[in-house]
Amino acid sequence: MNRELFRNISFYTLIISLQLLIFNQFNLFGFITPFVYLIIFIFYKISYDKTILILLGFLIGFIMDLSMQTYGCHTFSSITVCFLRTRIEKSSFGVNAYLPLAMIKGTSTLSRVAFFFSIIIIHSLLYYSLIFFKVSLLGTIFLYAFINAIATFTIIWIIARLTTNK
Amino acid sequence: MQSIINSIVKNRNLIIYLILSFITFNFLYNNSTLHSNQLGKISTFLSATSSKLSSSLSSYFSLIEENEKLINENLKLKNIDAKYRLNQIVDNSLDSISSARVIVNSINKNKNIIIIDKGTLDGVNLESGVISPEGAVGIVKNVTKNYASIISLLNTDLKLNAVLQNSSTIGSISWDGINPKILKLNDIPLSSSLKVGDTVITGGMSFYFPKGILIGKIVNYDSNSLEGYYEIDVESFSDFSSLSNLYILNKGDNKEIKSLLNE
Repeated sequence: MNRELFRNISFYTLIISLQLLIFNQFNLFGFITPFVYLIIFIFYKISYDKTILILLGFLIGFIMDLSMQTYGCHTFSSITVCFLRTRIEKSSFGVNAYLPLAMIKGTSTLSRVAFFFSIIIIHSLLYYSLIFFKVSLLGTIFLYAFINAIATFTIIWIIARLTTNK
Repeated sequence: MQSIINSIVKNRNLIIYLILSFITFNFLYNNSTLHSNQLGKISTFLSATSSKLSSSLSSYFSLIEENEKLINENLKLKNIDAKYRLNQIVDNSLDSISSARVIVNSINKNKNIIIIDKGTLDGVNLESGVISPEGAVGIVKNVTKNYASIISLLNTDLKLNAVLQNSSTIGSISWDGINPKILKLNDIPLSSSLKVGDTVITGGMSFYFPKGILIGKIVNYDSNSLEGYYEIDVESFSDFSSLSNLYILNKGDNKEIKSLLNE
């Protein structure tokens, strides 16, 4: 248990460091910044306590807000995604939603893609809605959210493939 | 108590999520000018909308009271207006003018009576003239403490002193009991000149009305009478079928004049 906890903390630290040091510096086309830290919420084991996940979402989101000066946009998007994760699991994996590692193995690729992309797109939509915070900019919000979600999904998918193969 | 605790434990994720969301939005509101402004706008819009809604609801439920208030205000204004107009056209023989609301009214009989909601307690005297905002209506016949009955101009027993406004020819106005819109102007000699549209006003030679109160206008006349007087139809300015507010003209010198006549 302690070993698993240590491994998880190391993984979270690594991902947060990667996000802060590398991906936050990305500014492709002026607005694409992949939110790789979402992999923590995606990889969080289904059997773990969901309350801890929400608190983890708050902590990570808060760190991101402090580093990117976004005043709570990351935090709100993260806790919402963490809160909705159980529902996303069920809608993506169906009867397999209770497999501890459903997001990595034992389920169809399509289900995993749906799961990954649902979490990422919900997070991006909420994030950009809060960033722009204007109904008149709804089109821009959708565009930015969609493009950023694709970039984030691609990187997270690659990382997921690499870690799973290992 | 146990069930409450169970419910909290069961919904702990939702509760934690809401608390954290509140903290986040508080942080956002306090630190970001954009969000602070936008949330301020939303807050203003919501408070204005809800205030408007609650105000509309409360106004709707207080409509009866508001209506009553408006009627009273309207009566007061009409009273002032009537006093002003009367002061313009008549002498200062009027003691006071009081307003009243019509309770009972009829136009389909020979001897029509109007009952109003003011009586001796409100200063209504017997034989006072009664007018509507448009013109003369009748005379107070009976008074109780709270009510008074009025002999309407649409009563075949009533005959009022009247004059033609243009020529000052004196006559008398009465009703023949047929058409409630048409009164008869009598005793105007054929030597007088008149035309359709001439205004008929009170003559002031009675206890009831001062001179100059409007009665109606001539709509038809017949000069072929063998008795030497015109037969004149006068359309009343007051619409007797829709009377609602009336004014009672209290003349102060009635008793004095009567005592002189009796001597």
